[in-house]
Amino acid sequence: MSRVCFIFKRKMPLAYISHLDMLRLFLRALSRSRLPLAFSQGYNPHPRLALALPLPLGVTAAEEYGEIYFSETIQPEQFINTLSPQLPSALELRGAFGVALDKPSLASLVGAAQYLATLKCEPGNEVNFELVQASLKRLMARKEIMVQRKTKKKKTYTNVRPYIIKAEIINRNDDEPLVLSLLLQAGSRGGISPFFLLEQLESDPAAEGIISCKWQLHRERILINQKGILQPLSEGM
Amino acid sequence: MLVSWMPFEKGKISDLLSRVQKPARYLGNEWNACLKEHDQAVVRMVFAFPDLYEVGMSNQGLKILYECVNSKPDLLMERVFAPAADMEDLMREHDQLLFALESQKPLTDFDVVGFSLQYELSYTNVLNMLDLASIALYSSRRSESDPLIIGGGPCTFNPEPLAPFFDLFVLGEAEEFLPDLLRELGVLKGQNLDRKEILSRLSALDGVYVPALYRPIYRDGILCGMEKIDPRAATVIQKKIAADLDSAPYPTAPVVPYIQTVHDRAVVELFRGCGRGCRFCQAGFIFRPVRRRTQSKIVETAEALIAATGYDEISLSSLSSADYPQIDSLINEMDEVLAGGHVKCSLPSLRLDSYSVKLADQLHRGRRSSLTFAPEAATERLRRVIKKDISEEEIFASLGDAVEAGWQGFKLYFMIGLPTEEDADVEAILSLCQRIRKHFIHQVKGSLNISVSVSTFVPKAHTPFQWEPQLELSRVIDRQQILRKGFKNMPGFDYSWHEAEASLLEAIFARGDRTLAPLLEKAWQLGCRFDGWSEHFSFKLWQQAFRELDLDPGSYAYRRFNYDDYLPWDHLYCGVNKELFIREHQNAINANLNQRREL
Repeated sequence: MSRVCFIFKRKMPLAYISHLDMLRLFLRALSRSRLPLAFSQGYNPHPRLALALPLPLGVTAAEEYGEIYFSETIQPEQFINTLSPQLPSALELRGAFGVALDKPSLASLVGAAQYLATLKCEPGNEVNFELVQASLKRLMARKEIMVQRKTKKKKTYTNVRPYIIKAEIINRNDDEPLVLSLLLQAGSRGGISPFFLLEQLESDPAAEGIISCKWQLHRERILINQKGILQPLSEGM
Repeated sequence: MLVSWMPFEKGKISDLLSRVQKPARYLGNEWNACLKEHDQAVVRMVFAFPDLYEVGMSNQGLKILYECVNSKPDLLMERVFAPAADMEDLMREHDQLLFALESQKPLTDFDVVGFSLQYELSYTNVLNMLDLASIALYSSRRSESDPLIIGGGPCTFNPEPLAPFFDLFVLGEAEEFLPDLLRELGVLKGQNLDRKEILSRLSALDGVYVPALYRPIYRDGILCGMEKIDPRAATVIQKKIAADLDSAPYPTAPVVPYIQTVHDRAVVELFRGCGRGCRFCQAGFIFRPVRRRTQSKIVETAEALIAATGYDEISLSSLSSADYPQIDSLINEMDEVLAGGHVKCSLPSLRLDSYSVKLADQLHRGRRSSLTFAPEAATERLRRVIKKDISEEEIFASLGDAVEAGWQGFKLYFMIGLPTEEDADVEAILSLCQRIRKHFIHQVKGSLNISVSVSTFVPKAHTPFQWEPQLELSRVIDRQQILRKGFKNMPGFDYSWHEAEASLLEAIFARGDRTLAPLLEKAWQLGCRFDGWSEHFSFKLWQQAFRELDLDPGSYAYRRFNYDDYLPWDHLYCGVNKELFIREHQNAINANLNQRREL
């Protein structure tokens, strides 16, 4: 048995498929590649494939992580060379490395994710730069952003403000679209969706113009939180 | 400070995609999709499926024809499906023409648009797709540059309600014929013939029905014949068949969708046609004669399919797969070939006999939740009438085998409104289900799940019941009421039924003639779409359409045809003689009388 962790890029138009569709796509590609998949035990054996953090619909990504178990030892190069030809061009394998079987799962390591949100407006419907800046400032100044979450039986309220680690406009060039960089907590210890944050921005009464525009979201990196320091996920393996 | 820039990449379509519910329906570019250069092809065709992507991509006919056309270097086929309501709204708002998935080119860039006609309740979608493509609805109003609008599939065995909207229908199986037809069209187009002349020449080919070349004759408002107005056209159109399935083209590398479809698995067809002859079943007659693939061909195809798609399930499909002569040996060989790869086999259509249950037992690994059977009718008399010959002892025996093999429940399919049916037959559904539950409830571990699904009988063309009227709507609703009340008082059943009004509409179009075409157009104008989807179906709009055109739904659905009446589909030959249908209809009536005498 061996375990391979892989890093991939998701481009348009494959941003338009769901997390489950992504898993199915990888499984079918793996099956076509004839790499020796390891199957889980039990009534309904299934291949052991996992992606570190589900990608929301519509979001492209630069550096996503997945892991898969094989019944024999598979070298990372062999993995990339065999699987790549079976993947659509919008999914690009960027790297792979072997991981010890006793290491924790990728998903359990995830601590944060960084997104780029590009504001796209139709010509003639431009957005005031300062307006976005101001609503962002107001949002970040809030001490609490309460969200209602439903569990099986009860409703709970969570303050998600601490999950917004950093949010800023990163370009100041008039000729280019406005880009926000969002660093958000993610993973098993709680997190928020980038869409939620953008909705919060738009719901600011002063931010009227944004609503007729569209955000294009891109996930730059998935990070691990090691004693307060955010590092690339591969550092945790 | 104002910011302005050119915002959207690659134009309108990608902009629309980011605003619809399931954008992956419109992406194209899936694994094994075939993108060819348009100027390299002599004839370009788009396969149009008048329902959602998820439904159309499960259709085996699409996969077969996509393969058999695209495997030819001089021909090209792309795909288009009915856009969902949200996409349609956006397309209309932004003047986006309906486009083919592969090249994103509008349908008017193709030589042929071929609609797959699987189901009467998708007809309004056909009109809607033509409109979204900016193609005139009526064949007579199309210009020389418009693509030929052709149709195929089971509904072409009575395509009359659609006749004025189509330039041409292909009757029967097209996998061997379609490339020839397209090439012939290419030759005729090369000779600079006009549309009318091209259609006239194509009408001379076997299997081709050009509706404009036939004029219906009415006497007192009743259809009494079809007059052929072009000497080249056949008086009776013969259906095409693929004589030998082993040599017929079959897709081993079908398109693998990005999103989950209705049947999300590889499919290998064991045989075509069915020898059982159930009297209500149109497929059982129009796909005759029975033709089998050899076991070696099936296994070879299955291996190639799995290698090219990566599916983890393969369906051994046919109208009645347990009837494949060496099914045991086939399943064993499939197991040997595929088991190592963790691929499971499934049989889509199981009969209610012990043999079928044994096969299911052999095939099914993993949790055994429920097994599906279709007794169709709950009394032995009625089952004899429809020729679903199975006794109650056999039903209990096979359900018993299923329980013994570990299944936790059943899904049972019944029909109401069958010829000779009475209220007592419907009540018998309740009592049969109750007896089944009582008998097996203590034999399963945990709870016994029985779901019962009841549809309404629709008399179809080219069956022994083609002369029979559909049961009147109010009486269908009464009988559904008997079941609804009954199941309400019987805990432990999951009861579902088909909308009676939708079945009425299905019957109207299944046995109607060309007088229905304006009705279809009217209903589409009023907003009818996706009539087969209960969340979209609006009977009120259809009633309004009937009223506005002063047509009587009952005159189509409830009319009993006589043997010497001219039927709207009499000029289309499905390979079975009318004498056989009459004989089988008589046998049904006699079965009824004999059974009643015995009682």
